[in-house]
Amino acid sequence: MNDIATTIKNNKKEPIKITITLPTHAYFMSGIRDFTLSLIRNTSDFSEQWAYRFQSVVDELCNNAIEHGSSAGQEIKITFVNSPGESIEIIVEDSGTGEGTMKAEEIQKIVDERSKKDAEMHEIRGRGLAKIVKEWTDELSFTDKPDGGIMVKVKKYLGDVKSQELTQSLSFAGDQTHIVI
Amino acid sequence: MATPATITIEDVESSSPDMTVKIVKFSGQLDESNVDEKANMVYELIEKNPKNLNLIFDFAELEYMNSKSIGYLTDWYGKVYENGGKIVVAQTRPNILDILQVVGLTQLIKTFPTIDEAKFAISHSA
Repeated sequence: MNDIATTIKNNKKEPIKITITLPTHAYFMSGIRDFTLSLIRNTSDFSEQWAYRFQSVVDELCNNAIEHGSSAGQEIKITFVNSPGESIEIIVEDSGTGEGTMKAEEIQKIVDERSKKDAEMHEIRGRGLAKIVKEWTDELSFTDKPDGGIMVKVKKYLGDVKSQELTQSLSFAGDQTHIVI
Repeated sequence: MATPATITIEDVESSSPDMTVKIVKFSGQLDESNVDEKANMVYELIEKNPKNLNLIFDFAELEYMNSKSIGYLTDWYGKVYENGGKIVVAQTRPNILDILQVVGLTQLIKTFPTIDEAKFAISHSA
């Protein structure tokens, strides 16, 4: 890890905010996925597994914004707010110019329906927000922007992850023949 | 402009003359920029082998798959299964297995650590 990343990781007080603006084209998402992986690995206390999970979350949010929210030639905006030792927040905004643009309330309703445990999924699409993003974040909200477009905000708390990992490791230890103190 | 990804298909000797077995090897990253085009290769393969097609998807070099590629995988499975065939997955990286699990696909499609184990499962399921 380089010195700047170490400084960021060790700074437990100040959130680090990074905003990236992208042209509306799926080609650029591979670079954003690489960036997400590096950011989580080098500047947060989230595990390697979560670095990959955030990569998927960011990709799905951006694909949704590109496909439904912003038309060709427009832009989408991605903001990472890393609160070291506490949480990662990701905000994706579109311009509201895409063909399949919906209101925040409509998207929320679709996601709620599709994320139900017994929801049957027969389509090629529809798993991104409802399954991957919803399952791997603690907070997911959709807001209509005053000037058009949608702002999707997700947040994952480190505390939940650490307690789950601890539970898993204790459960694993319970299968062994030794006593874990 | 698309993210690099390749799909290669190789024949596997089948234990039964009625059964076609192939290894479909994925490499690179399947994302929104390339998945529609790459998916067509698998659809063509399924169309050319309408009955008892058994596919081993080798994910050893697959680095990333998005939700749409998972949607295609589910659709391929349905088409193959309804014609007496099967799809199994082998050599999946942890991040890919994690995605398959979160969408519930591992309840539908069996995953194996090695190609040999996948071959064994296919040949003993006929």
